[in-house]
Amino acid sequence: MGLEYLIKDSPGEIVLFLGNEAIARGAIEAGVGVVSTYPGTPSSEIADSLSWASPKVGFYMEYSTNEKVAMEVAGAAAMCGVRSLVCMKHVGLNVASDAFMSLVNTGVDGGMIVVSADDPMAWSSQNEQDNRFYAWMSGAPMLEPSSPQEAKEMVLRGFDLSEKLNEPVLLRTTTRISHTRGNVKLGPMRKPVTKGTFEKDPSRFVLVPANFRVRRLIVLDKIREAKKISEETDLNFVEGEAEIGIITSGVSYNYVKEALDLLNVEASILKLGMTNPLPEEKICDFLREHKPVFIVEELEQYLETRVRAIANREVPEAKVMGKSEGLFPSYYEFSTRRVVEGLSKALKKEPSVKYSELDKKVGDVAKKLPPRPPVLCPGCPHRATFYEIKKVTKGKAIYPSDIGCYTLGIQFPFNVADTCLCMGSSVGVSCGISTVSDQPIVAVIGDSTFFHAGIPPLIDAVYNQHKFTLVVLDNETTAMTGHQPHPGTGVKGTGSPGNKVKIEDVARGCGVKYVKVVDPFNVEEALEAIKGAVEFPGPAVVVARRICILLEIREKRRKGIEIVPYVVDPEKCTGCKTCINKLGCPAIYWDADEEKAVIEPTICVDCGVCAQICPVEAISRRK
Amino acid sequence: MDEYNIMLAGVGGTGVLTAAVILGEAAVKQGENVRVGEIHGMAQRGGVINCTVRIGDKIYGPTIPDGKGHLLLAFELVEGLRAINSVSPQGVAILSTYRIVPVMVSLGKATYPSKEEIISDVKKFVSKVITIDCLKIAEKAGNPLTMNVAMLGVASGAGYIPLKQEILRETIEELVPKKYVDVNLKAFDLGVEEGRKTSEE
Repeated sequence: MGLEYLIKDSPGEIVLFLGNEAIARGAIEAGVGVVSTYPGTPSSEIADSLSWASPKVGFYMEYSTNEKVAMEVAGAAAMCGVRSLVCMKHVGLNVASDAFMSLVNTGVDGGMIVVSADDPMAWSSQNEQDNRFYAWMSGAPMLEPSSPQEAKEMVLRGFDLSEKLNEPVLLRTTTRISHTRGNVKLGPMRKPVTKGTFEKDPSRFVLVPANFRVRRLIVLDKIREAKKISEETDLNFVEGEAEIGIITSGVSYNYVKEALDLLNVEASILKLGMTNPLPEEKICDFLREHKPVFIVEELEQYLETRVRAIANREVPEAKVMGKSEGLFPSYYEFSTRRVVEGLSKALKKEPSVKYSELDKKVGDVAKKLPPRPPVLCPGCPHRATFYEIKKVTKGKAIYPSDIGCYTLGIQFPFNVADTCLCMGSSVGVSCGISTVSDQPIVAVIGDSTFFHAGIPPLIDAVYNQHKFTLVVLDNETTAMTGHQPHPGTGVKGTGSPGNKVKIEDVARGCGVKYVKVVDPFNVEEALEAIKGAVEFPGPAVVVARRICILLEIREKRRKGIEIVPYVVDPEKCTGCKTCINKLGCPAIYWDADEEKAVIEPTICVDCGVCAQICPVEAISRRK
Repeated sequence: MDEYNIMLAGVGGTGVLTAAVILGEAAVKQGENVRVGEIHGMAQRGGVINCTVRIGDKIYGPTIPDGKGHLLLAFELVEGLRAINSVSPQGVAILSTYRIVPVMVSLGKATYPSKEEIISDVKKFVSKVITIDCLKIAEKAGNPLTMNVAMLGVASGAGYIPLKQEILRETIEELVPKKYVDVNLKAFDLGVEEGRKTSEE
């Protein structure tokens, strides 16, 4: 929607951009030459936008196999003097951290932006880790935007900063920045420079111990230089004149502004846009001039810990208040309400909305609400595969799962997700369980996840002779994050054809002796392949290949192919509920009055799996 | 413009996000400061989806502070009740009577409250409740998928969207795929008609 604005040359025009689109536009305005990523919510739209723009603007873009590879691709481009941007979700930086830590030590020549999109509340993640600590740990300068407009500006400023310091710059967003749309003013676009030269300098780029020890001191000098910039930059500014002070950054700044308005309280705000290194002198001045000073930040006490240390050392009379006093929680995402509640407690001011009354009233009606957790889409091929796995193993195996839509296998009626730690973990966990237990194991992993981190543990299984079945849920796309291509699709980030890497070839190449490819919608065939795998005396791989239903629907609509819903013949339906209880499809519901299953025509997408499992053949395609 | 907060509640796949983006884009066209809040990811269909549209000079964050919403648009009936904490007692709720039965209900592990019960509960939180069969409007327009745009039409026709109707129409034209423009505009116009009737009542 509105992607054409990403490449529109009309400085001054105001458009509506998602935070992530604003970051993409910032990269284009900065003349970025190389973009790499592994998709992950809430970061995905940055690279997706840039994937769309890449052939039109002329910079290079790739979906890398995983975040570590993406970091290395972007880092190496920047070593060659080309501006690069790499983006990922917070946990992606864990995967890429090895390369990231070292890139800070080698430094870069072209500007390099590393975007970490954190996910407070873990809306779509396995945790809500606070990646600001990566900046502190590595020494990389960090910028934190509060709005889509700032997000775009900070990409431009970040490139300049990166080139000034010869260091990668961490741009840290959160879900409510990345996934907020707001007014963004377009700026002029710089022509991308996509070619550079690698200037050999082993003392810098070859981090053997002796070289590292020299680089370490250089990095510390750069951190001192960055601190001076942090003192002077207008990204760190004071707003308002009042006795009370508030130090904040990122999305929390918005909540502070609204909370002060709601509470009718005057306060000065030290708004930090550059949060590593911190502007210590600016903070000292602020602590001297304001009392008390509240630290308002989402998640961990990143600012609070550091500001308290500065206060202890330089301004012992300062009164700092925050999470340590129990004013604000350290879990989940922030809101205006949370800031209102914290400040009203400390300042003894009554908020205009009586939250306890509202909560009670809401609580009374909430009891009646039927839960509606996310579910596999109607027609999702994983639903069929889960049915088949469960049928073969009679629900009695251990089911290590992985990161993707299919983690929803945790739900009734499937219950085929017993573990889920991180990308690729289903395979490694299977290796571990099989070492110590004789319980049968059927692990699942998505196609993109298989390439990302599933191959090394599969090699481990072959090498160390671990026995389990791995079902690769191959829906020929990276579905959960928005249908990005991956090595198995044979399509590159720019949309042009690449080489297709086949999962079955990789599995065979790793030394797996039982490898079968099946269509999960062909229930009989799939059951047989899974049964064979479970009985096989070694690691066995079944590739359950069927395109993501959302892509199939999109294609059908584009071509004008009719999507014909299935119907239950009420004459034949015995009310046995097999379809409902075995598939849990959102399109099938139970008519309690008639005691029959009914298919909702606006939701059914014509997959036909229910018709295959109905014991009385009561389900058929509408004529 | 003075602050105006709209909560859009529904189920993934019912066009809630598109409706929110239409409002956001239209607000920018009208020269307003706007924030659209949304949540992406996890499975795309079947889960709860809440989007927020906030228009006004003094708004900063994307989310509506509890009890500060002016308008609640429920694209699925019971989801209106789930999002009720966002609306102010002076606010208005427009509920589509369209129902998507959660899987948990089909599995017999939960119940879906009756229409009457939902409406009477929503009434406890707002000054006015409008119920409307958006699916019927969309089907009349020619495509059930236009339910979301029909809802925008209803809200606009009833006078609860502080954006000009011609700007909304223009935005719909720009944002929906070309071959669906006519049917969406028809759904919007039919919605406006229905919305007008409710304000005359």
